[in-house]
Amino acid sequence: MRLTVIMMAASMTALWAQQVRLPANLEKLSEKAEESVSVTLDGNMLKLVSRLDHDADNARKVIAGLDGVYVRSFKFAQPGEFAPADVEALRNQLPSPAWSKIVGVRARNEDDVDVYFKDGGNGKLTGIVIIIVRPNELTYVSLTGTIAPEQLADLGGHFHIPDLDLPFGERRRKEAR
Amino acid sequence: MRVAAIVLLISGSLSAANRDFDRVVSTIESHYGVKRTKIPMMGVVNLVAKFSRPAGASEVHIATFDNLPQGYGEGNDFERLFNSLSTRDLQPMVQVHSRGNGASTYIAGGEAGKSARLLIVTLGRSEATVVEAKVSLELLQKIIENPEHAGKDFGW
Repeated sequence: MRLTVIMMAASMTALWAQQVRLPANLEKLSEKAEESVSVTLDGNMLKLVSRLDHDADNARKVIAGLDGVYVRSFKFAQPGEFAPADVEALRNQLPSPAWSKIVGVRARNEDDVDVYFKDGGNGKLTGIVIIIVRPNELTYVSLTGTIAPEQLADLGGHFHIPDLDLPFGERRRKEAR
Repeated sequence: MRVAAIVLLISGSLSAANRDFDRVVSTIESHYGVKRTKIPMMGVVNLVAKFSRPAGASEVHIATFDNLPQGYGEGNDFERLFNSLSTRDLQPMVQVHSRGNGASTYIAGGEAGKSARLLIVTLGRSEATVVEAKVSLELLQKIIENPEHAGKDFGW
């Protein structure tokens, strides 16, 4: 019985791991974190979530074009619980030329936001990864599917994706007014 | 004929939900060598749960454990167990761990027509609660946005 459970667990873990491969050192951070959150939405659940009555119709449209949403965040009791090398290992998972780092923001409020886009060819993006580093917080967001860069800001505040103050998102909001 | 088909479909869906709930409860029982807590007059408790359930929830099933081994939720053991329970219709969706109060919440979800079916497991230091329910999209949204409060939504 236990062997069956372990074999099933191994196969499910492998399936899940195909979507996102977080470096082992990052997963270990959950042992140190005061709070860790993991959100995985794909397939039917994403279709279902896209029907939710979001306050902004834009968010619904963005979600409808996605194949997967994965969010992993860690909050620590105090700064310095994770090393720059931990974050670097995460960035190294996104090599060029497949991935392009579009935004590198060093904000005054100590947020360090990196946004990476994956070019799917034909002028379409097929993936976006956002890494947000705060002194006592680390968040990793991976979106797969068809998404335009300017739609990114519409997802902020949903599914534990932090609100992002991105230059193109702000411009879009102003244009919409 | 059509009525019979609809009845069969509904009963099939309900029994699938029951099977998932029973599977989770019995897997926890066998994996940790414990039995779910017997609550006197559980029928009455379930009846109360039926009427006191949060808005947007229906077909609620609840089981509690209060005799799990200390520290059973630490490490990846329960996470592996929970992930092993997923099926095509019920997949792991959200996990929240808090070291402060030693609580963890695991949520798996699936489509149930125009609603969603959720399986929520909350772990304490030596206790656990398993809830399986059909929820509206509004409640689903609330639970996804605040998974750490999912237990409170169901009154524990």
